[in-house]
Amino acid sequence: MPIFQDNRELLQRLNWLRIFFVLVFICLFAQLWSLTVLDFDYYQNLAERNRVRILPQIAPRGLIHDREGRVLVDNVYGFNLLLFRDELSDLDATLQFLMDGLDITEEVLRERLKAAGSYSIYQPVVIKENLSMEETAYLLARQSEHPEVEILKQPRRIYRYGSLAAHVAGYVGEISPAQLQEPVFRESKAGDIVGQFGVERTYNQTLTGRDGRRRVQVDSRGRILHDLEQIDPIRGEDLTLTLDLDLQATAENLLGEDAGAVIAFDARSGEILVMASRPAFDPNQFAIRISKKEWDQLLENPDHPLQNRTVQNTFSPGSTFKMILALAGLERGIIDTETTVTCNGSVDLYGHRFHCWKEGGHGEVTLREAIQHSCNTYFYLLGQKLGLQEIAHFARQLGLGVPVGIDLLGEASGLVPSEEWKRQVRGEPWYPGETISLAIGQGPILVTPIQLARAMGIIATGRSPRLHLLKGDFQQGSTAGRELLSPAFAPENLQTIRDAMWSVVNEGGTGQGARLANYQVAGKTGTAQTISLSTREELSESELESLEDNAWFVGFAPRDNPEIIVAVIVQRGGSGGSSAAPIAREIFRLYHAKYKSRGPAGLEVASQAKQEKKL
Amino acid sequence: MRVWERGILTQFDYALFMGALILALLGALGIYNASPQSGDYSFFLRHLLWISVGVGVCLFVMSIDYHFLADHAFLFYALSALLLIGILFFGTEINGSRSWLTFGGVSFQPSELAKLTVILLLAQYLGQLNENHLEYRHFLILASITLFPMILITIQGDLGTALMFLPILMGMVVVAGVKKQLLAGVLVVSLCVAPVSWFFLQDYQKQRILVTFDPGLDPQGIGYQSRQSQIAIGSGGLFGKGLGQGLQSQLGFVPEIHTDFIFAILAEEIGFVGSILILMLYLLILMRLIRIAETARDRVGILMSTGVASLMFFHVAINVGMALGIVPPIGIPLPLLSYGGSATVTVFAALGLALNVYQRRFVYF
Repeated sequence: MPIFQDNRELLQRLNWLRIFFVLVFICLFAQLWSLTVLDFDYYQNLAERNRVRILPQIAPRGLIHDREGRVLVDNVYGFNLLLFRDELSDLDATLQFLMDGLDITEEVLRERLKAAGSYSIYQPVVIKENLSMEETAYLLARQSEHPEVEILKQPRRIYRYGSLAAHVAGYVGEISPAQLQEPVFRESKAGDIVGQFGVERTYNQTLTGRDGRRRVQVDSRGRILHDLEQIDPIRGEDLTLTLDLDLQATAENLLGEDAGAVIAFDARSGEILVMASRPAFDPNQFAIRISKKEWDQLLENPDHPLQNRTVQNTFSPGSTFKMILALAGLERGIIDTETTVTCNGSVDLYGHRFHCWKEGGHGEVTLREAIQHSCNTYFYLLGQKLGLQEIAHFARQLGLGVPVGIDLLGEASGLVPSEEWKRQVRGEPWYPGETISLAIGQGPILVTPIQLARAMGIIATGRSPRLHLLKGDFQQGSTAGRELLSPAFAPENLQTIRDAMWSVVNEGGTGQGARLANYQVAGKTGTAQTISLSTREELSESELESLEDNAWFVGFAPRDNPEIIVAVIVQRGGSGGSSAAPIAREIFRLYHAKYKSRGPAGLEVASQAKQEKKL
Repeated sequence: MRVWERGILTQFDYALFMGALILALLGALGIYNASPQSGDYSFFLRHLLWISVGVGVCLFVMSIDYHFLADHAFLFYALSALLLIGILFFGTEINGSRSWLTFGGVSFQPSELAKLTVILLLAQYLGQLNENHLEYRHFLILASITLFPMILITIQGDLGTALMFLPILMGMVVVAGVKKQLLAGVLVVSLCVAPVSWFFLQDYQKQRILVTFDPGLDPQGIGYQSRQSQIAIGSGGLFGKGLGQGLQSQLGFVPEIHTDFIFAILAEEIGFVGSILILMLYLLILMRLIRIAETARDRVGILMSTGVASLMFFHVAINVGMALGIVPPIGIPLPLLSYGGSATVTVFAALGLALNVYQRRFVYF
């Protein structure tokens, strides 16, 4: 050890060290102050978010029953994969993780995320619905590495009978950005599943429940430590439809592979019993978020399975229009039951030869015979006498040209022509010859099956009850068409037409296919061209003739005090008598078998309600 | 021994010792609070045991004349170097570092022991030199003494611990006296080496450094740690959330709560006020260590205390700076507060060294 040490310099340097230490500590104090005091609010907010996760508790939608309480639309619970984007650190790693273990492509994943772009970052995105056992196992095993995903049990729609009554039930789907702006969806938020079609859409507000939520405390790995708050979801209200699934199934089965539509309603209450449209779709396809590709495939299907042909598509009424001509003629006094016309198979009017469908002609026919055998000549001449204005007037009186106001969206108006319409739309005058075509339901006249059924109803009963799908109250439906129809037609005129229509079915007329031994069916057949009016304009005569006709049958039963109205259209079905009438017959038969002993339940309820009001 | 006759009680730095003990017990409290989540109090109990062992070692180290220790410094140094080499073959890997030796269920880190032996050997060499301004060759020897264990520890995969040797060397060299040109030269070389060394760093190490400058870079990855630590501390506010109420830490958002981020859990629960108290205790200990150096009898004593002060200071500054988000996350413990047997015992041993110097500050002939 050295004897002498001069350590004064060392002591001086120790002092530097002391100063350095103190300075560094001052920095630490300052940063501590900055974090805990200056930025306290910021960090507290972050800390709050750190430990609370809100798990959406989706409310099941209300169930949809048929008139007999059978469940048509139900809910099932499945396991869905949710992604919490606010906890996402490496998107690509997460996507890879999901693609490795789930049956899902990157394209679909990106699509989902893109669709979720509009909603709050704290709202989880449903990545995949209805996980399989394998997928669930894969996710659960790796959940601690991926706190950003979570499996939640969530309800989804199940349509018990697949495509049965699909157009009435409709389907659900994720709300679109445009829909978010609509007032009817004001209680929905981005990402919600809402009714998109059918009664799911019309009565969406009723069916939609109130979502609950679960606020949970989670650790940094996303593991739930305990519940902070639990608001249970409330299921939406159930709906009972006026449909009879037995009748509905019969109608759909009989249409089979043919494109076409069947509508049937209670003549007294306006309750829709059957609303069948073919081809159909399976709404279960929509119950999980379908990809854009699947959606496009459905949209581009040339048979348009998504369209509800009973209300959304318009057709030429063909010979069924003759009942309207007949009513107009009787009401205006142009014809009576004794008036006769001689049919030679054709008639020359305005320099053009108009043919009856029967080449040799029907000979001398009364109105009853003209309807019974659907004689064109009789109605050519009647139409000529009535003129466009009167024909159009009575068509409108019977509810053509305006929506019937059924509680579904997207109902078509159809078309009742006028001179003005011709001038405005076509830029040319109405030619007198067109009136002659119009008289047998060809030319620019278009109806939806439901419109034609209602017109039938008015002729059958003289009344026009509001047509509806929801049992009981139907406050949410459209009001269009309500002002229609307190039609005042002479009862004896209506009776004349009804008798004639009875003979169509029961006395060897064109509608024999609808005849039943124990139930007095009356009706009218029709055949009409398949194509739309505008297309028809573009096609030449020869092309038109090559197209097969649509087959119509509209009718009611029984002959006296009618109970049920049925309209059937089979597209490209040839003549109405051969393809449409037998379908109507089965509807009548089944209706009679089911309801002859007991009146339709709806009627009883309605009369009971009235009595209660009086008391 | 003469030491005991001269009165351990009269020549004892109570402030230093009590400060250290209070901090150690606060650390035990923090570990206790971090435990209820798992219901496992074994960390707490083991930590109390390590503190007892640490106090015992502290008093033991104090009782042996530091000149004796300095005279045998090379022996101790060689021994710790042997352990560091041995670990490469027989070591146990914990948390990715092969830096543990296990004897009958007790694990310890030779790298901690190495810190002490390096301080001893550096102090011994500088004391012998009796030179107020070091030459290049002296510096080279000093650097070699320090770098050898550093390299071994880096090979084990514990870069954080290895780096802590540099400030010890720097502190002692600065106090021992170094020519201004030499100091400037070392600085220039360091500045040149730093960017080059960037290319030798592992990706995760680069990330850690980058994240310090931009915490938003990687919210769930490396930056996640220091981010969560800042959230815990910041949300503690002025007075904290109360003991046992530190949700951020308890819920596992703050990583390594027992060890590297113990400061975060304490700060969350005891707030700014409590954290300042902890930092003041550290500052008190550091000021006492410098005071001990100033009053030391000889050069070896001065430098030994300086080494201990540097060791303490850089551990505290870097660990707390890391928790506060101003230093890249390096895996080093907070002396006295962090859980960990080897670290706790080493710190107490180092303080024993300083107490040793303090006790023998007067020359008795």
